[in-house]
Amino acid sequence: MKKNNATNRRRELVGWALNAPYLLYSLVFFLLPLIWAFWLSMMDWNLMSKDKTFVGAKNFLDLFSDPKVQAAFINSYRYLLPVVLLCFFFGLVIALLVSKLPDKIKGIVAVLFFIPYLTSGVATSVVVKYFFNYNSIFNEFLRNNFDLTINWLTDERYAFGVMVGIVVWKMSGYYALFILSGIESIGTDVNEAAALDGSTGLHKLIHVTLPMIMPTLTTVLVLATGLAFGIYTEPFLLTGGGPNLSTTTWQLEIYNTSFTRFQSGYGAAMAIASAVQIFVTLRIVNFVSDKLNKRFGF
Amino acid sequence: MKKKVTVKTVLIMAVTLILLAISLFPFYYMVVQSLQPWDMVDKTLVPTDLTLRSYEYLIGKGGATNSMMWIRALLNSLLVSLPTAVISVAIGLAMGYTLSKLGFRGEKFIMDSLLFQMFFPTIILLVPRYMIAKSLANTYAGMIIPMCISIWAIFMYINYFKTVPGAVFEAARIDGAGDLRILWSIALPVTKSVSTIVFLSIFMQRWSELMWDMLISPDIKMQTLNVLISTQFKPMGAFPGPMYAASVILTLPIIILFLCFSKYFKEGISFMLK
Repeated sequence: MKKNNATNRRRELVGWALNAPYLLYSLVFFLLPLIWAFWLSMMDWNLMSKDKTFVGAKNFLDLFSDPKVQAAFINSYRYLLPVVLLCFFFGLVIALLVSKLPDKIKGIVAVLFFIPYLTSGVATSVVVKYFFNYNSIFNEFLRNNFDLTINWLTDERYAFGVMVGIVVWKMSGYYALFILSGIESIGTDVNEAAALDGSTGLHKLIHVTLPMIMPTLTTVLVLATGLAFGIYTEPFLLTGGGPNLSTTTWQLEIYNTSFTRFQSGYGAAMAIASAVQIFVTLRIVNFVSDKLNKRFGF
Repeated sequence: MKKKVTVKTVLIMAVTLILLAISLFPFYYMVVQSLQPWDMVDKTLVPTDLTLRSYEYLIGKGGATNSMMWIRALLNSLLVSLPTAVISVAIGLAMGYTLSKLGFRGEKFIMDSLLFQMFFPTIILLVPRYMIAKSLANTYAGMIIPMCISIWAIFMYINYFKTVPGAVFEAARIDGAGDLRILWSIALPVTKSVSTIVFLSIFMQRWSELMWDMLISPDIKMQTLNVLISTQFKPMGAFPGPMYAASVILTLPIIILFLCFSKYFKEGISFMLK
């Protein structure tokens, strides 16, 4: 009995000791900033000065009439839709192709498709910036052969497409790995049964493969939704959120409001508003995911 | 029948190759332009002659104003990313083990706290976090400490330890091994695949971080390579050639690291789905 007590005490001690760094971190970099953020959101404050003025709900009310906030809110969904659909499409195409390759090269091809995911948004932005430059070989080619002069990053019609293109290019191979892993976990018995029933090609894809990997697909859906809300680096470096706020995002506006325009109290309110949108959207996506999984028996 | 299969395989390979070419084209373009003479940058896809001038510019030959800044930035990136990844792994390992194998009274409280943070958008915390860490501005600590704990990594370990039979650890404890010893010589080897994936992912994320590093480390001497390149986007920034060369240097280490450990990937990805 005495030995047991000593063991228990040692367990408590080791448990708390090994979790202490996390607890300390959470206190300093999570709990404290969380309370601070709500307090700041009710202040008029310029980041540097010691004086803060309490303005109550004014910051939150101002959000509604701010074109930048409206743009960030709407752009979240404008990004979400094409990013999720295209990542899904290309991820699925890549996964299906790779799953049909000979085993010897399967692994390496999957990893090669994964490389864009590893690339810093800054390096990508360097290539995109110069590649779409007025004098680049690409634009010279368009000008000389098709008499086309396109301002890819300053024309509202194209800048948004370029941003979506970058994100889809970056993420498709990553999501393909998830989908591939789902496809490969389908048992041979299922595939044999499908073959016996004469189900091949598109019919098999829609009626066998996709339903079988539904949990994987919904995981990708949730991941891609989170991703669409975190877009920052590319518009920050390439368009500054423009032209006419067409490519701006929450992250970009919150950063600029708090640290460039020094309306830090207002920036904190903006961040809370963005969190509410993310929370509600993820809730809806999770709800849909659960429904889909249930519908297909998971 | 056999012939049909072959045609199909060739078709699949051809489509795969086209998609792969599109997906890797930006890297080809980046490398080629970094090796072009400066008057040919962005003018050809297939270079006729190659030069290292852009790379020499980065190490201070050929008139760079601040000759050491690019090398320093690369070093800064390493000195920030490596410790961050090591600490994330160490904390993830310790917490995964204690929360799923030890059994102590704080377990439930810590799990609840982790779950709450997992789904919390951290953008809310940006301004106050900056205020708290401001005294660490332009130091490695300021870049490492606020980013050295990854909730995702902790959950990876917790879930992995759940699949490891407890007997493995019990046996070591009966033999008289302490908990730190168990962590180092049993838990770490057992979780090798998860540890590799966590280490690489955190390293990569830290290496590519932009917003926090820009805020906390505005001094050019303390900037990471990622931030230094981003500051050159302004109208009077670096020439395209060196920008491409710097981008290659920013991208290559991560790709090489991941290729070296690619065999752990599939295991890790299929595990992440559970």
